[in-house]
Amino acid sequence: MKGLNQRAVALQLMVFVSQWGLMIVGFGILALLVAPLRIQFDPSLGRYFDAAVKAMIALVLSISWLFIWDRQVRLYFYRKREEAAKPV
Amino acid sequence: MLPSGWDVTTAVLLAIVAFPVSLVLTRFFMRVNARRGIVGIDVHKVSKPLIPEMCGVSIPFTLILLSAVYVLIGGGNSLMMLAFSLVVGSAAVVGALDDRLKMRGIYKPLLTLLCGLPIVALGLLYPNQVYNPTLQVPIFGVFHLPVIYPLAIPVAISVTSNTTNMLDPLNGTMAGGVSIVSAALLIGVLITNPAPSSVFLYSGLLFAALGFFYFNRYPSRAFAGNVGQLSVGAALGALAILSRTEIASIVAMFPNIQNSFFFLSKIKRFTEHRALTAKPTKLLDDGRLASSSDPKAPLTLVRTLLVGRPAKESEIVSTIFGLYLISAALALITMILMG
Repeated sequence: MKGLNQRAVALQLMVFVSQWGLMIVGFGILALLVAPLRIQFDPSLGRYFDAAVKAMIALVLSISWLFIWDRQVRLYFYRKREEAAKPV
Repeated sequence: MLPSGWDVTTAVLLAIVAFPVSLVLTRFFMRVNARRGIVGIDVHKVSKPLIPEMCGVSIPFTLILLSAVYVLIGGGNSLMMLAFSLVVGSAAVVGALDDRLKMRGIYKPLLTLLCGLPIVALGLLYPNQVYNPTLQVPIFGVFHLPVIYPLAIPVAISVTSNTTNMLDPLNGTMAGGVSIVSAALLIGVLITNPAPSSVFLYSGLLFAALGFFYFNRYPSRAFAGNVGQLSVGAALGALAILSRTEIASIVAMFPNIQNSFFFLSKIKRFTEHRALTAKPTKLLDDGRLASSSDPKAPLTLVRTLLVGRPAKESEIVSTIFGLYLISAALALITMILMG
């Protein structure tokens, strides 16, 4: 397509496809391993404690996912620029 | 009971009306706002033309109007339409306030958190009729989130509305991008679970966005303003919840996620673009855009696409649409995997 930055689109395609795959794996971990967990010490508040622990695990997974996204974009698009900026 | 083909056809036919309605309303707001001096500078043009602002208000107007008509003719789930209209309307109010008062960057995410409350409140009043707290995951089935799901709704609306707001730096990127996203999700809904209300709302959003895009495309004759951007983003968030397309919507919005995440990770606070001291891009004398060499500038999506290769605004817009097409295709595959 005329006017399209094909190199950028190809690199972004790699980023998006790998992040999509990782996201599905992450949801798989949540569905198969985290969701069935039962961490209830106190019967009254146990439901909320359980939910909070699972939310924390999901948060850690999503931060890791974003970290990988960050590394990929820096590697594909900003590597030369960052190397050039280093003092000799 | 499965919806009949006629119900779905009626939903799509009524939603098509959103295109001329949005077109006429945008034209109307272009005239009114230009006359009242509600204009913005197109900073990515050498001539710096003045363009009517806040014309994106035509989209929430169209969506709310048509949702009311759809309920009145007995076509849709009235609770779903009410929840959707309240979310879109409240986000439009937040956007209009920001357009007129120029609020600090932190207020928009905080105020848009409140925009998700109508879905939570209606969901508590009418359990399982507004949203379903069981998340469908591609390949791996479902998991029930009775506590986390309602708490996540305001966050989801705030994230989708603000991330849509952040990826509208160039002519037509928001309206064109949202059109691609909503078209993909509409196809996914039609393939997997063609509930008439979901089909109506996704096609309504698609045609309303296209009506506005006609005037907003490069070179723009109308700007959306925060009122348009926030309400359209909130509409996508509300639809993700009401139509149970949460994960597919996340995938479809990958370009928005990348743009917002890299902006926030560099700037480390919620702030407005106008308040940035280091801009992510610069305009060259020949009218092309180039990536900023300032190390303090945020790594926005547009800056990333311009690294080492200055380009015309129209080329960058095409490239962003290319990215939306990729994410939309992945979203469609995600919906097919969910079945």
